[in-house]
Amino acid sequence: MVTTSRREALKLLAAAGSVATMPVTAAARQMDPVFADYQAASRTDPWTLVVRDAPAEGFDSQATLISGTAPDGLTGTLFRNGPGRFSRQDWRYRHWFDGDGFLQSWNLGPDGVRHRGRFIETDKWQAEEAAGRFIVPALASVPPQPGGLSGPDDMNVANTSVLLLGDELLALWEGGSAWAVDPDTLESQGARRWGNGLDGVPFSAHPKREPDGGNVWNFGQDAIRDRMIIWKIASDGTLLQAGVVEDVPGGMVHDFVITEHSLVFLVGSYRFQDMRLPFLDSFAFDAEAPMIAIAIDKNDWTRRRTWELPPGFLFHFGGAWEEADGTIRLDAALSQDARFAMAGAYDIMRGQAETQTDSQARHMQVTLAPGGRSRIESLGDGYIEFPQVDPRLTGLRRRETWHIAWDADQPRGATRIERRNLHTGDRDVFDHGEAVFVEEPLFIPASPVAPEGQGWILHTALNTRVEQTELHAFNAQHLSDGPVASWRLPYACPFGFHGCWRSG
Amino acid sequence: MMKLMTSTLLAAALVGMTASLAGADDGMVTLTLEISGVAPSDGYVMIGVFDSEAGWNDGAAVAGTRASVDGDQLTVAFTDLPAGTYGVKMYHDVDADGEMDTNLMGIPSEPFAFSNNAHGRFGPPEWNAAAFEVSADSSVHSVSFE
Repeated sequence: MVTTSRREALKLLAAAGSVATMPVTAAARQMDPVFADYQAASRTDPWTLVVRDAPAEGFDSQATLISGTAPDGLTGTLFRNGPGRFSRQDWRYRHWFDGDGFLQSWNLGPDGVRHRGRFIETDKWQAEEAAGRFIVPALASVPPQPGGLSGPDDMNVANTSVLLLGDELLALWEGGSAWAVDPDTLESQGARRWGNGLDGVPFSAHPKREPDGGNVWNFGQDAIRDRMIIWKIASDGTLLQAGVVEDVPGGMVHDFVITEHSLVFLVGSYRFQDMRLPFLDSFAFDAEAPMIAIAIDKNDWTRRRTWELPPGFLFHFGGAWEEADGTIRLDAALSQDARFAMAGAYDIMRGQAETQTDSQARHMQVTLAPGGRSRIESLGDGYIEFPQVDPRLTGLRRRETWHIAWDADQPRGATRIERRNLHTGDRDVFDHGEAVFVEEPLFIPASPVAPEGQGWILHTALNTRVEQTELHAFNAQHLSDGPVASWRLPYACPFGFHGCWRSG
Repeated sequence: MMKLMTSTLLAAALVGMTASLAGADDGMVTLTLEISGVAPSDGYVMIGVFDSEAGWNDGAAVAGTRASVDGDQLTVAFTDLPAGTYGVKMYHDVDADGEMDTNLMGIPSEPFAFSNNAHGRFGPPEWNAAAFEVSADSSVHSVSFE
């Protein structure tokens, strides 16, 4: 077995002389080296704004329309979540995923676009805000003089995604509870309690909603014990069923897909090895471990089909559907290693981006056929992330995926938004240029009955030339025409990960 | 009457002290646990006392008790323990069902605490973090659920 731990990967990949885990020199002892590196980088490089601390009091302002016209019918609220607090007392988290959840809302209404941002007041946030320092061991960082952990929710930062469930807005992490937030004020309401022995049970950040008011499915991973929790929830938020599925290898599963009949997981080769702190150090990339595909029957969670795929890793899927013979087709942003989680996301915290530690996720179509046969085909060159689908076709046969895209010489991230036709391979592209770094593009249907793919793409971006955050709306079928409307804030926000849309 | 009672209590206290002193002579002591931060104020605190790393890891307690909760603190005494090194595990059986409730993933959903107020990380703390000395001179130990 060939495994590479995060520390080994850092040794292999990181530029000499600036590695956070190197022996502390006398000079460095006086200042946290990661904090110092970021401070230095941020003085000259506006790209570092993507991981700057958001103000503790949050944001509240009107965005300015800078070009185009707000589309008729595009009224509602874009909610986005992501890490927003990275340093306290001149000590900085080591990894991008450690930051405290910062929730933003962009309300598109008759009076223009109003932006709000507010920290999610998790137990961790409240304790550390009161103490003025980080206390809790985070996913990939242990702060000085750390406190203990009595359960995963002690370190819950609720920083990954958002879910609208009935009238509720839930801020999602993947190691513990969802965190309830008032969708209008963004005020935190505490951990979502389900009762029935489910309080504090992991609720991952990529729930999937069946079309037409169907059920919401989610999972939670117990990587230490090779188990998965499955959640089945009605669209109004009523819990229908939750239970444990055994024998799912502990492979840092971040996302999944549903089809009409199945819940489909790809367990990558970035596997739990043995318990360490910080917790992420418990995982290592095993270059000889196959990626395992597991399709669990929606109606009987004890029934499964499995496939062995070449070693690899992924964060995100586009979507999936199932053919009449049981063949599952899915698309995903697949990489051959877990470089970004193991090294790139550490570099970012120092305000640096290295080509050799960048994610190399490519858009791939995976076919899982009966009898354990499988096929992986490239859907395009270049790197992609945050693949998105028309939500009305979640789990169903569809034609298109939207995603962000960049090339090997752009380690700082994506500047392009793309649409890919899965059947013809046709591509529709808009490149914002070298100064604008784009975030997840969300597809919003033009109406509940509009044809497939008819609607808008809405995405936020950091414009490093003006050092301000922007919101761009596109006609989803004509990305290459450029945004139909763009708005700009009077400030820059830290990058988020995932969002959701509430119409009206 | 009051005087008599006081005298009796005083006598009892003196006898107790004598017994304690006598105990100290043969190495036996009383461990007094002062437990705070108990909430909610009902149910029981279930306590296990361990005298070795092996016992700590195996869950083999040398003494234990179930103490009724009435308020946010309580005091529990374990008598006739040999002076030495001990560790204490406790949990608050809020619903008084005699079990430490856990969620579906096996994570405790009732409060728990350890001697030295040691914290575990994804499990009980190591013996070394929880172990403390009990002697005739030092036999009171404080633990908080907070």
